[in-house]
Amino acid sequence: MTSELAEYIENIKYTSKLQPANEAEVLGELETHIEDKLRELTDSGLSEEEAVKACLHELGSPSLVARQIYEAYSQGSWKQVFMASLPHILFGALFTLNWWHYPGWLVIVLGVISGIAVYGWWHGKPTWVFSWLSYSLLPVMAVGILLVYLPKGWSLLAIPVYIAFAAWWLFHMVIQTVKKDWLFSSVMLLPMPIIIGWFLAVSPDWKITASSLERATLMAPWIGLSFLALALTVAAFIRIRQRWLRIGLLVLSGVITLSLVVHYTYGQINTPLFVGLMLVMWGVFLVPLLLERRFRNRNKSLPKYLRTNTIKTG
Amino acid sequence: MAKRSDLLKSSSHSLLLCLLEQQPMYGYQIIKELEARSQGYFKFKEGTLYPALHRLAKSGLITGSWQTLPNGRQRRYYHITEKGLAKLAQERTQWQDFLNAVRLILQPGQPVT
Repeated sequence: MTSELAEYIENIKYTSKLQPANEAEVLGELETHIEDKLRELTDSGLSEEEAVKACLHELGSPSLVARQIYEAYSQGSWKQVFMASLPHILFGALFTLNWWHYPGWLVIVLGVISGIAVYGWWHGKPTWVFSWLSYSLLPVMAVGILLVYLPKGWSLLAIPVYIAFAAWWLFHMVIQTVKKDWLFSSVMLLPMPIIIGWFLAVSPDWKITASSLERATLMAPWIGLSFLALALTVAAFIRIRQRWLRIGLLVLSGVITLSLVVHYTYGQINTPLFVGLMLVMWGVFLVPLLLERRFRNRNKSLPKYLRTNTIKTG
Repeated sequence: MAKRSDLLKSSSHSLLLCLLEQQPMYGYQIIKELEARSQGYFKFKEGTLYPALHRLAKSGLITGSWQTLPNGRQRRYYHITEKGLAKLAQERTQWQDFLNAVRLILQPGQPVT
């Protein structure tokens, strides 16, 4: 296959974001079609160069073909909708049903969420797993909060180590999810600004005190509601086929939910903090997108045999 | 007046089901058959045929299966399902009603089929 046609297939592969199980079949079928077409064109008397040019014209724009392939395969089942929205519903229920008062419930819910996230991670990272992975970042946050309670000298020593570890962990998770699709990475990170916003509203000095618990009790219904909003967002995300609609939904939902968080924190979040949280929210979308582009460009510059997820050509 | 590509887009599922009702076919064969039977009127952008076939397969109207040819090459043949046949019968009736209605207006006095 010529480099122009290999590039055509590569473009479709990159933009259509197929699951590995479908990718080989869909691209293999397209390659067979191209071979048939080239044979027909060269048999009709065209040179190889002319045949390639005509073939590319007849195939149509790779972005159009990739978009249509994406839309044919992107819609998840209702089972996936249930699985993807469940962690947000469980986490929201902790607050709306006041389970958070009981450490036992907290441990059970977070244990179930972590267990299912690990299971999904090691079983092919299905579409539903990314919303569960959001909460796997919570233990890392919890360790950070506990460091505040260390004696002053120790905390000065531990905090830089912790920040390095937390940044590595977050980066590792983002890299792994971006390899599949940057949008899934954004789905995973979407609750982060919401959780940070609520935490700062409840414990502005980063310490959990009696007044933090009072504030949490006051805000609990709204905390629960914000996670139910995330559950609805993820459910709609799974069912929507069009990529641009998926991106619009995540951005709109993230910004609106964060604005609601600020509104219902009764003045605990000031303007600079709100701006900071909004920047984090934009980071949720831009960092995975930019990382994916960087990986793609790096992958393109490698020789074909070194590229990741290279499809066998006929 | 609608563009030919718009007409093809809106009727592509019916056309594909109709072709596959005759016999199982692979993508390239479908393109050629469609072009020949419509005397060149319907011409797909070839790459967009496959998403259309995959949408039909996802809806359970057709199924695809790989077959190895004597020369060792593999092709994916598409077959219409029972659900696809039922859908095709329904779409045929709708098309017939539509064509009759258009004919009544554009060609008054002509017998309706």
